[in-house]
Amino acid sequence: MNLIGQALTVVRKDLLLEWRGKGRLISVLMFGVVTLLLFSFAVGPDSTLLRAAAGGFLVLALLLSSTLGLSESFRVEQEQRAIEGLLLLPVDPIALYYGKTLSNTLFLMLLAPVLTPVALILYSVQLDLKGLAVLLGLWTLAAAGLSAPGTLYAAMTSRLQSQDVLLPLLLFPLVIPVLMGAVKSITLILTGDPMSQVGSWAALLASFAIIYWSLCGLLFPHAIEEGI
Amino acid sequence: MSIRATDSATLAIQTRGLGKRFGRQWALAHCDLQVRPGEVLLLAGANGSGKTTLLRLIAGLYKPTQGSMTIYGMDPDQEKLACRRTLTLVGHDNYLYSQLTALEMLQVWTRLRGAELEKAQAIELLREVDLHDRRDYPVGGFSAGMRKRLTLLRTRLEEPRLVLLDEPFSALDAAGQNLIEDWIEGYRSAGKTVVLASHNLPRSSRLCDRAFLLQEGQILWQGTGEAILDQVGTTV
Repeated sequence: MNLIGQALTVVRKDLLLEWRGKGRLISVLMFGVVTLLLFSFAVGPDSTLLRAAAGGFLVLALLLSSTLGLSESFRVEQEQRAIEGLLLLPVDPIALYYGKTLSNTLFLMLLAPVLTPVALILYSVQLDLKGLAVLLGLWTLAAAGLSAPGTLYAAMTSRLQSQDVLLPLLLFPLVIPVLMGAVKSITLILTGDPMSQVGSWAALLASFAIIYWSLCGLLFPHAIEEGI
Repeated sequence: MSIRATDSATLAIQTRGLGKRFGRQWALAHCDLQVRPGEVLLLAGANGSGKTTLLRLIAGLYKPTQGSMTIYGMDPDQEKLACRRTLTLVGHDNYLYSQLTALEMLQVWTRLRGAELEKAQAIELLREVDLHDRRDYPVGGFSAGMRKRLTLLRTRLEEPRLVLLDEPFSALDAAGQNLIEDWIEGYRSAGKTVVLASHNLPRSSRLCDRAFLLQEGQILWQGTGEAILDQVGTTV
């Protein structure tokens, strides 16, 4: 079986686990919604300010939710050391990595249909269908850019008791370029883009997603050399 | 019993000065082991004597701190995937996902090996370990013995040349233990190599061709299965 086939088997397994234990998705979604609510309370009823910060709030909700989802994705692997069972099979660790990263990206993409409408309502932003489609595209790129290093670090910290603290500590500084690209481009979509700058920010976002997917894929086999 | 070093390509396992250190503690040190294909080898020793470390080193789950090793003439460091195709390890953990069913677990393992498992074949396998009636139940609801039996099916599923078993009789009832004993006899007849670590010496000493006694990470003694009972009694 080739690398892609093995990676897709991992994705299928992860989606099945997600479907069976919907708790993770629901709790992460609720966390994201609560985060958006708290941001709106913190800013107050100033709708101009809320609209201007909506992009940033949305991306922060995605980032904070992602750390919960990422650490949880390796908790199931550690529960009965299932990941060790996979590593004992003749499976290329790169296939394991891309399988896990793809399923984590899909998981983060699932947050968009809930968090986006909540943010639009809370922050009084109006968006046409085209804008919505572009926003979903940007969300997908941001999810991919966060998942790649997030999966690597979640794997590295999965056996540590302090994973919940370590994962954001390691992840947040690394994903600053992704955050910048996502916040700038999504803000432009939500508030208007008279200078047509979205394209360049989206290109930055896509570039970092590609860099992270390539680099982290190369690093993962070394990270799990002694088992994870 | 000595095997010439030049035979390494024909040996199932050869370790030379193999050792593993965790922090300052050597879990295994200077381990020289030569196992012929088709042999059943018993590793005995008290808790912390290095049995599990040795099995995990052979399985490639640990990188040795010192020494080297070949598996059927292959260097696990250079030919990792080929080695993993050759061997299987069933350790203390069950490698299961609580929310998947027994049938789904077998299918995930098989697909990742690049093969397909028909439902009928999977049910037949589950029948061997008396889990066919539970095939559609999530394994999270299984007892420890049932989980162990399901995980032990990996040795049937993967058709390895080298079977590594860490405490294969633990958590199993008498029927389960008899079944594993039959399997090990079957592996021997099929020319497969088996290395088992066990505290159940009366049962495992009957099965093995050679036994090794480990103490504090070193091989203290080696001899036949019967002789190890005289050496250490019935339990270690």
